[in-house]
Amino acid sequence: MTSQLTAPAEIVEGLGPNRVRGKVVKRPQRDVAVQSYIPEVIRGIGITLSHFFKNTKEMALDQRNDPVLESIDDGINTISYPEQRRPYAERFRGVHRLTTREDGSPRCVACLCCSTACPAQCIYIEPADYGDDPKRGGYEKYPKRFVIDELRCIFCGFCVEACPCDAIRMDTGMHPAPYDSRDQFIYEKDLLLSIPGRDGKHESANPRHEPGDPTFPGIDRERGH
Amino acid sequence: MPTFKLDDRDIEFQPGDTIIQAAHRAGVDIPHYCWHPGLSVAANCRMCLVELGPPPGRGPLLLDVLRYDAKTGEYVKTKKPKLVPACQQPLTEGMEVKSQTSEHVAEARAAVQELLLLNHPVDCPICDQAGECRLQDYWLSHGANKKRMRDEIVHKPKAVSFGPTIVYDAERCIVCTRCVRFCDEVVGDHVLDKRERGNLSEIVLAPGRQLDHAYTLMTEYVCPVGALTAKDFRFKARVWFLRSVRSVCVGCATGCNSYTDFDPRNQTVYRYRPRDNERVNKFWMCDEGMLDYRRIHTGRVLAAQAGGKQVAVDAGLDAAADACRKIDPNTSAVVLSAQHSNEDNFALLQLAQRLGVTRLFLSGRPEGEGDDILRSEDKNPNRTGVIGLCGLQTPGSFKDFAALAEQGNLRTVLALGSDAELPDRASALSKIESLVTIATHQGPFVKAARVVLPASSWAECDGTFVNRDGIAQLSERAVRPQGQSQPAWKLVAGLASRLGHDLGYKRVADVQAALAPQERSGAAVQEAGATA
Repeated sequence: MTSQLTAPAEIVEGLGPNRVRGKVVKRPQRDVAVQSYIPEVIRGIGITLSHFFKNTKEMALDQRNDPVLESIDDGINTISYPEQRRPYAERFRGVHRLTTREDGSPRCVACLCCSTACPAQCIYIEPADYGDDPKRGGYEKYPKRFVIDELRCIFCGFCVEACPCDAIRMDTGMHPAPYDSRDQFIYEKDLLLSIPGRDGKHESANPRHEPGDPTFPGIDRERGH
Repeated sequence: MPTFKLDDRDIEFQPGDTIIQAAHRAGVDIPHYCWHPGLSVAANCRMCLVELGPPPGRGPLLLDVLRYDAKTGEYVKTKKPKLVPACQQPLTEGMEVKSQTSEHVAEARAAVQELLLLNHPVDCPICDQAGECRLQDYWLSHGANKKRMRDEIVHKPKAVSFGPTIVYDAERCIVCTRCVRFCDEVVGDHVLDKRERGNLSEIVLAPGRQLDHAYTLMTEYVCPVGALTAKDFRFKARVWFLRSVRSVCVGCATGCNSYTDFDPRNQTVYRYRPRDNERVNKFWMCDEGMLDYRRIHTGRVLAAQAGGKQVAVDAGLDAAADACRKIDPNTSAVVLSAQHSNEDNFALLQLAQRLGVTRLFLSGRPEGEGDDILRSEDKNPNRTGVIGLCGLQTPGSFKDFAALAEQGNLRTVLALGSDAELPDRASALSKIESLVTIATHQGPFVKAARVVLPASSWAECDGTFVNRDGIAQLSERAVRPQGQSQPAWKLVAGLASRLGHDLGYKRVADVQAALAPQERSGAAVQEAGATA
């Protein structure tokens, strides 16, 4: 115990008028070269320029690393967004799209299930009646307006789950672009219909199997039991 | 009163009651499609099957059946009780009925439900009935089984126009014949009937006819599924977004009890539905009344006008007060409205008394078509109420008022409502020097007025209406006042305070408290309305 109470060699006892205990530190070497900063600045510019030329060369010669492979490596990796993008997962919920039938009409029948399920209440639908329109093709109801407020949307995917017709999907692999005014985030029906899925198609991956189709799972009258 | 036992509960019944009738009166719901308290018994849906206890001194009635045994894959001979439809079985003293507690009943109802859904297109996403459909409700409460049939369903006509108001979808129809019985028994117009049998049956119109009588929308309302839909409501809203308040139809003097269905998000009224009341409208409403909700949103006065310009309500009240300061009992009159509630008319009567105006007149909408079922020729909901409020001082008719105005004897007139009962005499209104109108809708009185104050309609404030039989009924507020409109009694109170008379009305309850007991909706009437 007594040995611990004695001060170590470099601790000096009672310096100055207040007898402060302290450790003597050597002052750093500050010669003219260090104080003027000039060599350090030149060294820094050198590093920046070497990166600049390396990046420019890689970009010009198309030698950039794959961001996915690079991200597996240790250390800090840079993805040059937006030229390079980290790919989204298979089930990433991106911007919505409306799928179409084979004739290009929207599959949506304006049942309002999506806007009922939506916790952010960002979907507005105005239903309408095809009436005697020859375009109706066996359908009665369609959305006259279908509006999604992408700013309000929380991308939970409930609308996709709720849809009984597979008319709304979030498989675009896109997130909303950063627009410069709010009204550009209000996606109207025509815009939603124009966005393709990841496979580049506008139709759904799950087509409706009508009783007449060869893909219809049930037994119908023609094929018997 | 004799009683019977339903499950574990003793329920009283009147001699001649069927099981479902007595249960319905006691507030117990036995699942049903085709039975309706106001129609005859058809017993064709078989949803209300119940198990009866054996009659005294005898054994239970058992049927021999073959039951499939899934383990052995064979059919086994067994017995099960004979079930009876609750809608057709008359009650006797001490009868024991099993509805919820019998496994045989549960099995039978699940089977009935499966049969009814066998050929159903399941197009709930585009069906207006979704959300208030018995097929949906009973499917959930009776097994919620997936469909076993892999065959293509029987296809039938869809979206058939039955007339100016109704669309029929034969695929959704369960052929309960409620609509047929309604037309036959209540309206007395045999325009609908059933054709074919089994899964091919459907409802058809009489040859050369359309469903065009005065009660067509009731056929949609009695339809327990989405087979009949109203063209007016078609695809307008989903019912789960709508909220309801208890209201009274203001389409005519009958004062049918109704529900006002509105969407609270956009403050829009979408439809009226009949509300059961044995004393007034039983279970029904007419087309005219059910479509009357449209007046809430059309032809409204939504801003105050003074001197031909739109002004704020306060400025309008100031202008009205200026006009009323010149009131001289000899050249002034107050026009009450049979379209407005007791509250509004009472407030105006109070003001008329304070101003010393003794000439009272009553106006309203012109007479229309009537019948022996529900519709009155008098298209005003509160004529009886206003005459009652005036007491001995019976108000003059619009004819007398127009005659006085024609002679130029009226300088200042304070009018409630904009309806001229005799539209061809409305030109006389332009002879009035200063006409102050408190109105909900555009009309002759608004056109001729110097100052117009926007009043809230019946759907935007509570109000009491007295029907032709003298029954005072409360109509509840559904939506917020539209535009700058305010309840008429509030405008009258504001006008009175500017003229130096404090009526002391801050809330509608203050006005109602000042009304005589027979002029506000009594507790007894409300209860009568609530039983159905």
